[in-house]
Amino acid sequence: MVSMMERLRLTHPFHFVIGLTLWCIWFVAVYGGHAVACEAAAPASEQGVFTLLSGGLLLVSVLTIALLAALALWCCQAAKQHQGRRRFNAAISAGLYLFSALGVVFVALPIIGVPPCL
Amino acid sequence: MRERNSYTILSNIQRVSSRRVNLIALIAVIVIAGFTAGCSGDKSILDPAGQAARDVTLIWWIMLSFSAVVLIVVTVLWLYAFKPREVTRTAAQERGIARRWIIGGGIVLPVASITALLAFGVPAGQRMLPLGEPAEVIEVIGHQWWFEVRYPNAEGGEVVTANHLVMPVGEPVDFNVSGADVIHGFWIPRLGGKIDMIPGRVNRIRLEADIPAVFGAQCAELCGVGHAHMHLHVESLPREEYDAWLGARQDEQLSALATADADQEEVRDAFRTHCASCHQVAGVSSGNIGPDLSDIGSRATLGAGVMVMEEGAVSQWLKHHQTLKPGNRMPSHGDMDTDTLDALGAWLETLSP
Amino acid sequence: MSTDSTNTVNQAAAKQDPQQLHDDLHEIWGNPKGLKALTIVNHTTLGLRFMVTGMVFFLIGGILAMLVRTQLAMPDQDFMSPDIYNQVTTMHGTVMMFLFAIPMLEGLAIYMIPKMIGARDLVCPRLTSLGYWCYLFGGIILTSSLILEMAPSSGWFMYTPLSSSEFSPDLGSDFWLLGITFVEISALSAGVEIVVSILRTRTQGMALHKMPLFAWYILAMALMIVVGFPPLILGSILLELERAVGMPFFEVAGGGDPILWQHLFWLFGHPEVYIIFLPAAGIISTLIPVFAGRPIVGYGWVVFAIIVTGFISFGLWVHHMFTVGIPQLAQAFFSAASMLVAVPTAIQVFVWLATLWLGKPKMKLPMLWVMGFLIIFVCGGLTGVMLALVPFNWQVHDTHFVVAHMHYVLVGGMFFPLIAGLYYWLPLFSGRMPSENLGRWGFWLTFLGFNGTFLIMHWTGLLGMPRRIYTYDTGMGWDIYNLLSSVSSFVMSAGIAMVLLDIALHFRFGKPAKQNPWNADTLEWANSMPPSAYNFVSLPKVETRHPLWDDPNLPYTMAEGKHSLAVASHGRREMWGTDPITGKVREIIHLPGNSWWPLFAALALAVVCISLLVRVYALAGIFVLIAGVFLLRWSWENGTHPKAAPEAAVTPGDPPLHSRTMDGPGVWAMAIFLIANGSFFLSYLFGWFYLWTVSPEWRMPDISPLSLSLLVAAGLAVSAGCGVMEKLIRGLRHKSDVGLGAGLYLVGGLGAVQVVFTGWALYGANLSPTETSHDAVMLFGLIYALFHGGLAVILTVLQGLRVGYGYVGAYAPFEPVVVAQLWRYNVVTFWVLVGALAVLPRVIGS
Repeated sequence: MVSMMERLRLTHPFHFVIGLTLWCIWFVAVYGGHAVACEAAAPASEQGVFTLLSGGLLLVSVLTIALLAALALWCCQAAKQHQGRRRFNAAISAGLYLFSALGVVFVALPIIGVPPCL
Repeated sequence: MRERNSYTILSNIQRVSSRRVNLIALIAVIVIAGFTAGCSGDKSILDPAGQAARDVTLIWWIMLSFSAVVLIVVTVLWLYAFKPREVTRTAAQERGIARRWIIGGGIVLPVASITALLAFGVPAGQRMLPLGEPAEVIEVIGHQWWFEVRYPNAEGGEVVTANHLVMPVGEPVDFNVSGADVIHGFWIPRLGGKIDMIPGRVNRIRLEADIPAVFGAQCAELCGVGHAHMHLHVESLPREEYDAWLGARQDEQLSALATADADQEEVRDAFRTHCASCHQVAGVSSGNIGPDLSDIGSRATLGAGVMVMEEGAVSQWLKHHQTLKPGNRMPSHGDMDTDTLDALGAWLETLSP
Repeated sequence: MSTDSTNTVNQAAAKQDPQQLHDDLHEIWGNPKGLKALTIVNHTTLGLRFMVTGMVFFLIGGILAMLVRTQLAMPDQDFMSPDIYNQVTTMHGTVMMFLFAIPMLEGLAIYMIPKMIGARDLVCPRLTSLGYWCYLFGGIILTSSLILEMAPSSGWFMYTPLSSSEFSPDLGSDFWLLGITFVEISALSAGVEIVVSILRTRTQGMALHKMPLFAWYILAMALMIVVGFPPLILGSILLELERAVGMPFFEVAGGGDPILWQHLFWLFGHPEVYIIFLPAAGIISTLIPVFAGRPIVGYGWVVFAIIVTGFISFGLWVHHMFTVGIPQLAQAFFSAASMLVAVPTAIQVFVWLATLWLGKPKMKLPMLWVMGFLIIFVCGGLTGVMLALVPFNWQVHDTHFVVAHMHYVLVGGMFFPLIAGLYYWLPLFSGRMPSENLGRWGFWLTFLGFNGTFLIMHWTGLLGMPRRIYTYDTGMGWDIYNLLSSVSSFVMSAGIAMVLLDIALHFRFGKPAKQNPWNADTLEWANSMPPSAYNFVSLPKVETRHPLWDDPNLPYTMAEGKHSLAVASHGRREMWGTDPITGKVREIIHLPGNSWWPLFAALALAVVCISLLVRVYALAGIFVLIAGVFLLRWSWENGTHPKAAPEAAVTPGDPPLHSRTMDGPGVWAMAIFLIANGSFFLSYLFGWFYLWTVSPEWRMPDISPLSLSLLVAAGLAVSAGCGVMEKLIRGLRHKSDVGLGAGLYLVGGLGAVQVVFTGWALYGANLSPTETSHDAVMLFGLIYALFHGGLAVILTVLQGLRVGYGYVGAYAPFEPVVVAQLWRYNVVTFWVLVGALAVLPRVIGS
């Protein structure tokens, strides 16, 4: 239990992998969910991008972005409070959370422009 | 249309021996031929004849210019870094310089580039999608190692042919492609991108030809020993010629053509004995393992692009097809006498509506 | 324990005679000669064996490449028949990827990592040896197919249905599938132990943020191997089952889907590119600061870039499949993700640039190769971004443009850095310096030949030449470009021959190198040159990222035994076990000595591989059991076994032996192995859901054939077993081993109950796995559960026996912790499996 609590601290290198793991999970969820939805109940192509499916994908993306951005901010604050190893760890984690958040933004952009299931 | 070689055995032998006689002369010829061909081979992506291909070519030239600049700048900066120089900087100055390099070159440069690229690229991809008004539909099915081409919407009934695809000029055509055995690749480079022909699935791609012309096409996915010999002859015709072309290939016309000459009954019997279980000729046989031969005389090539169709070509093909196209699925005809093969070849060449 | 106490030990050690200490350590660590050389487990020797074997396979792959270029030099050549040509191209790709690139870089990591992090060996030496033998035997089996003219011919990515038994009835595909799977055992075992070694055996004080960058790169590579290879192993097993037994996983008519193979292959195949690139970039990041004479600028940026690359590379696999007809939006996701990977790559390029800019770089021979790397790799990266653009990809996919791009990335991104690294570390391997002259000739010929071959090939592709055609017509405008490519490829091979000649000659004629000849900062240059079997007489405490710059005398004081662990009287192979984050010393790791078991196990597996190939399944079954016995015997010689560490006495003040703690490296190795196993399991689940939703002819029975009650009973048994196991571990944690033996037998019994119930459910389901892919996938999942259940039973019962022998108990509580992790894994995967195979179909229906 002690080690679990330790890992949750923002200066633990465990956070090196959490951000991008979340990115991967988001990616697989959106790609997989999209594929299954298109297979099961594809919205008509005339609807363009204004479909329930696109909206759902967008919502998941926005929530993920918010979570990652918040973590990036917290890590950034943690980095300022420490020195040496802890500062290094928190700063790297902050960068990785930020990159993951922007990665979600960037990869999710086509949801706005491209109709699903074509 | 450019000159195409005819691949008879004779010319093969000649080419090999001349190579031995004077390699340098040959290289010189190839150099000249190569450069004059430039970027206008009939499979060249850089010589587009349709909107989709033109978009891609434009994107390519833009990307090439941009990439060349990036590559040159990065290389010059690296080489310049090796120049000895006497500068003393404080640690803070060094950190500042490093940060500028890393953020400028490592983040701003790639993010700006890929954003610009996606901004151009995604709309270009959108234009290639089979959206909107219904278009002419042509089905292409890849077999080891030939293309079956079907026109399901032809007026008067479906038209089936092989290795020879005719499409109307100036209107979008939807190609519904599939694979009969393994995965093949459907690709007409001068018209646009490629799409895989997968067993059990139908993939759709929309292409449009701007000019009446002949385009080269070739299977793009490794499909076995015949992969290099799996070509598709693509011809775009004005609408009325296209309709006429389809009209001439209705079942009754083709049957009449095949059975017109009563003197050829003996040859038709030979065909029924040796060929009919695999090949269809309307009015004569209905095999469906190999290509439909009902209009073979009118096709530009033989053996899915292995030989140019000319007088005597079919008989040459029947005799030497395993040399011309190693491993193809048609059994060797070594057990048949040459007269029968010649007669079959001559008769098949008459099947030209 | 504290650092103060270890310092007192240091002073005690310093009083010893250095030569005596060296002789004693050599007695313990030294390599045997003659036949017994086959038992060597030492990382220096095995790393060299990996690299030399890799070079041999590189030459084989290179000759195949020359054959290809000869065939394509002119139109209508009949130098090779199409069948032979397909075999040659397939084997060229396969040999270069699986038998050269990965093992070569792993060999370099195996050789270099312990030396760089101040350890004496890798953490599982016998696993290194097993990995080498599996690599060697698998490679020989695979390449023998060329001599037999039975080589695989469906291309190195083996797309089905072309590679299926219907369209490739000869043994070629079997050679590929079995041989590659065999070789991948080697890649995985090296991956697992490298991860654990980097995390747990760095020398005292080497905190995570003080690690050499090369170790960061290798850590990422090894973790990527651990996660990335299992999908291909699964795919290979499924395809081999389809070929041998007729289970229709990829066959449309039976409810399978050939696209599933492509997903599994590229789930591995794309990370693979970065698995090859990351260590090579690690070489660059090591060399540039040394030759610029200053620390790398932006260490943190590079760590950031490594982590980002490692993850993002798993989100790109579909960009190899843009033409299979997946929805446009999904393509856009992968297109964007593919471009995203340009960011970390660009960061590294500009970090290197800034380091050179702010340093005083010298253009020594290794730097020449770094220069060549930069130009070629940036060019390959730029075409990579182009290929990520979907419409452009549709045009040039499967043309020679892609062939050119791929060689720019792989040769530029792997081969050039590798040669740079070989030249750089040559003095370490041999104690001699390379010649500048011959080496420069070699570089320029290779560089010009490479660009002549592949720069032109982009153009050939744009002119519409598809890949993998054995011949082409004249008149396409391709002739001259192909000829130029072929001529240049021979120039390139002349350059490579010159490099190899240079390296071979230097062993005889090279000038003797002085200690730390390039004035580098990392610990591998504190070795003697060539290194001794134990690397270091004493292990230093590291304060910064640049130990040799801080203290240039460090190599000498280390050799004099003035640092830690300079003790040999106990006869054990020892090194530090440190905290993965802070680098504080936690325990002494004692390593096993030379052993026949890895060789025997690999030989047994080779017999399995060959008998599967010739389809003598009974023999294969027997040798699977024999290999299992060998591996279990190997695991028996651990901990307090007389052949391991029966005595636990350590110098006063030193930490305990790892086998007397509860968190030794074995626990970590098991955890990393279970990550690999989890990746395999997730790939399997992906396959199940993929076929269920996408496969065109998928048939699902209306009523699930699996008995839910039997499966739940089995699940309860495995959960109960795991619960008892946890209780025993808690006892051990409180130094109590009361009822440990009986408890372990009880756990084993519960595992047996799980196996019986699962087997019963399988028997009752009456599956027909050769008829439908549904039944085939279900059968595979249940066999997976049975195998893991059985394995847990065997390992637990063996632990019970070891308690009886006195090898395990409160004083040596280590091993049950290792086994307990397998139980936790089994509980989770079993319930997930029940949910996916038996519950979901009932809920959703077909």
